[in-house]
Amino acid sequence: MHQHLETLLEIQDLKSQKTELQDTETERQVQEEVFNISIDDALDALDRKVVEMEESLPAPIRSRYNRLAKRYPRVVAPVIRGTCYGCFVSVATAVSSDAGRNEEIEYCESCGRFLYLVD
Amino acid sequence: MRLRDFFAAGAVNLDLESETKDDVMRELVSLLGIDERSRGILFKMLKRRENLGSTGIGKGIAIPHCRSLVANELRVAFGRSEKGVDFEAIDGKPVHFFFLIVAPPLEVSNQYLPVLGKIAQFSKEEGVEDRLRSIESEDEFLALLDEHNV
Ligand SMILES: [Zn+2]
Repeated sequence: MHQHLETLLEIQDLKSQKTELQDTETERQVQEEVFNISIDDALDALDRKVVEMEESLPAPIRSRYNRLAKRYPRVVAPVIRGTCYGCFVSVATAVSSDAGRNEEIEYCESCGRFLYLVD
Repeated sequence: MRLRDFFAAGAVNLDLESETKDDVMRELVSLLGIDERSRGILFKMLKRRENLGSTGIGKGIAIPHCRSLVANELRVAFGRSEKGVDFEAIDGKPVHFFFLIVAPPLEVSNQYLPVLGKIAQFSKEEGVEDRLRSIESEDEFLALLDEHNV
């Protein structure tokens, strides 16, 4: 997989983990009661990691990332059966059949999100 | 909802070989039957979660878990290590029993937390570690879950 696509995916996963901890009462309860996690510490740690990973992105990708992040909670959209699951528009055949499968950074022509091809 | 329904065929390994925390997480991820590049990402996310605090909850049981875009559905796996693995568990003891849970970030049925809760509840039940130690097959393992109504 493309190195920076992998970073983008990780950032997104970390951000959703953070959102879950912030917004879902049950998630907080489980993490505190079952696993003895301090929620505040966990949120800080996730924030730090996200910033560190954002800074590791090369400038052009990072500026697209920043633009997208202002508009959408998730900047990477999965492509399932040829459809971008960010905007639900079909993506170009060339993209959806990317021979290397996620070896290139691809964008959705319709919504601009980074694309991740799901098997 | 029954826990057994979330175990794909082959997602139970009663004889894990790994001896370190990282290796055991990789071995567990390999039970899920997903492609290799997704495995790498899941492993990283599991590790990130462990960095926030170990999911080893004591009694020799750990519940590593994460959500990731590379998971296309909620999947669960179980692994057992006879020797035990240092998983930095809350009680400092080696972990012998591992429940792995992975789920997509957005999941229509939203069963991730209920599944996590059920496994945690099952893990707390009296004598469960002895039963997990003595089971001999995947079927016995699944029957044990049924027996505990999880
Ligand atoms: Zn799109």
